[in-house]
Amino acid sequence: MAKRTKKRTIVGSPLMPDMLKELGAVRGFPLPSGDFAPDTNWEHTYRIWTCHGYRESGNDNVGYLRIRRTANSSEQLTLDVYQTVVQSDALVNIVEAKVKCRKNPLASPIAWELESRFVDADNNELPQLRCRENSRVTGAADTTSDWCLFEAVQRLAFDRQTSLSFNLLEGLSLSKSGQHLFYRGVYPTKIPGADRLHCFVQLGSGILPTEYWLDDSHRLLAVTSMNKAYIFDAESEKIIERRIEDVRRSYRKNKGLKRK
Amino acid sequence: MSDGRRQKRQSSDLLSRREFVKLGGSAVAIMSGGVLTNKDAGARRARQPKPKNILIIITDQQHIDTIAAGGCHHVRTPALDRLTKRSVSFAQSYTPNPLCSPARSAVLTGRTSSECGVHVNGRSIRSDIPNLGQWFSEQTDYETFYAGKWHLPRTYTGNIPGFKVINTGIGGFGYLCDTVMSRACQGFLRNWSKRKPFLLVASFMQPHDICEWLRLNMENPGRLRYPELAGELPELPDNFQFDENEPEAIRRRRAGNEPFRGKAKWNKEHWRYYRWSYYRNIEHLDAEIGRILQALEDRGHTNDTLVVLTSDHGEGMAHHQMVRKSSFYDEAVKVPLLFAWPGHISENRTDTTHLVSGLDIMPTLCDFAGIRAPANMRGVSLRAALEGNGGLTRDFIVSEVSSNTGRMVRTQGYKYITYRKDPVEQLFDMKNDPGETKNLATSSQHASTLAEHEKLLKHWERRLDVAPKVPNTDAWWYLERS
Repeated sequence: MAKRTKKRTIVGSPLMPDMLKELGAVRGFPLPSGDFAPDTNWEHTYRIWTCHGYRESGNDNVGYLRIRRTANSSEQLTLDVYQTVVQSDALVNIVEAKVKCRKNPLASPIAWELESRFVDADNNELPQLRCRENSRVTGAADTTSDWCLFEAVQRLAFDRQTSLSFNLLEGLSLSKSGQHLFYRGVYPTKIPGADRLHCFVQLGSGILPTEYWLDDSHRLLAVTSMNKAYIFDAESEKIIERRIEDVRRSYRKNKGLKRK
Repeated sequence: MSDGRRQKRQSSDLLSRREFVKLGGSAVAIMSGGVLTNKDAGARRARQPKPKNILIIITDQQHIDTIAAGGCHHVRTPALDRLTKRSVSFAQSYTPNPLCSPARSAVLTGRTSSECGVHVNGRSIRSDIPNLGQWFSEQTDYETFYAGKWHLPRTYTGNIPGFKVINTGIGGFGYLCDTVMSRACQGFLRNWSKRKPFLLVASFMQPHDICEWLRLNMENPGRLRYPELAGELPELPDNFQFDENEPEAIRRRRAGNEPFRGKAKWNKEHWRYYRWSYYRNIEHLDAEIGRILQALEDRGHTNDTLVVLTSDHGEGMAHHQMVRKSSFYDEAVKVPLLFAWPGHISENRTDTTHLVSGLDIMPTLCDFAGIRAPANMRGVSLRAALEGNGGLTRDFIVSEVSSNTGRMVRTQGYKYITYRKDPVEQLFDMKNDPGETKNLATSSQHASTLAEHEKLLKHWERRLDVAPKVPNTDAWWYLERS
């Protein structure tokens, strides 16, 4: 019998919001309950979705990112970051960070504590892989991090004059200089809950072009960068916890192990 | 084929004395298995210093000319620059096979991909050939660890023979995968007891994300997606055009690639944007490598660790209008190969003379670890060349591809390419035509050169112990043209 091959269609075009919908990564964005005020306290959760470049297969939710903003004073704010990424064989990486930021246009980090840890298929932590960092940036008002930009971009004006140049401290650890963020414009979408979205673009060394998509109330709904998207989704945590359970179950089944 | 028939065939294929002299004395090494025999080898190994630790960095799809310190003007690669400055880097370094799994099988065993039984992606290494982890676990005190892409057969797995897997990676997505993997390596290095020697393989996915980029940018938008980049786009290479009369395998590969599959053919700007994007993936890779090297330094291991960096294969980069891999053009088949061990290996030196192969990594590491290499290595130890104590007596290297149908022989002067059952051969004068633009295979002036290279290949093939079930093997025994 001839081997049946699964049809795979190349996506062909970049991951704009409508493409995310076409590929099933987004069904809709929740309508805001009341006005969103980016300058106040809020918590946003983003599903991390990756695309293999085919329409039918290889695209998946691989984690989530939760950012909680607390306004400390007129000059400072705190971001609590929590990111979970599911790897093959049910290994899970958790990164937690508490970042004190300037309330400047870049939300430049002043001080932070970061911890990376891994748990195995039995939910046991692997202490030999744990890593903690406590760092401080001095006099670096022109520096920010990718997570801080999730906050900062929501406070920027939708104006073609908006343009920032900075150095990036990706994941609060990897230095990537020569970054540029600017307002690109507003784009109509077919996504329920977002008739149109505003777009900021980030270009620079060490990153693929990154697009930040915001609704009229300045709420960040999606971040896309080549084959990766962060999608605003209050259900993210549940979706990923379910996925972790599924991959663990599947891993144990393949290994012939019983659940502890 | 019966043994008698095979012996007869081998006998008739032996090099003549004249040909032997022409090739140089290194033919002895080649004919005796690629390993220079030395009675004192064991004693010499025991006397030489050993690195306390070994860190092997494998990247995925890294073009050889992608390091700023190596002369690439399109990237910022501070981590690779630092590593380059304390390394010997080989400018004539070739992968044993310009495809992921086959290349990895060869690099990690020192045997060709067809011998390993990994002629295509997603196959296991034949069980009677030990991989680096298995060999070092048996023969040395190094504890062997692996992080990231494996692909033999599973791409990402917690189960790799001979290694304790500290991180599995995530299928297909370098940007996320490498970040998590390098964090795991960082944690490992920071927490590792300083007293115990380790061998760690950190196997990155990047810059392989260019494959996803190609699928997500296949359609030529007709204008630059980010006009702000117009002044930054790298120029097209000099050998952007291609020869219409190439072997069919190459023509088919090109036609199947995204630049030729979309609704509209790519314009030059889109090609240049592809090159620009590839370089950004390189920079991402660089930063993640930097995280690991920094952790090594933070723990005071820089001076007692032998660091090796290589890639499974290169990237087309628009040369000959190729993207991705699986061709024998230099862009796909040449790979970075760096060795660093401060105080023991020359620093900041580019070796432009020696032809080296990923097959050499296993015997080289065995040499540094003070152990004999497994039997039938197809590569040689580079230790003497790295320490500045002499050169390699080797005249050619071989690479294979396309499900055991394609072979490349690279000598100092020429590159010869042949595919089974394809009458089109390629011969390039690599000194006068490094861009591989003029195929000399049909030039009567180069007939003897072609014949010499065919003969080299014939002798190489005859030594191989190709794994059962690898297709197209018999054809290589005879090397008869169809």
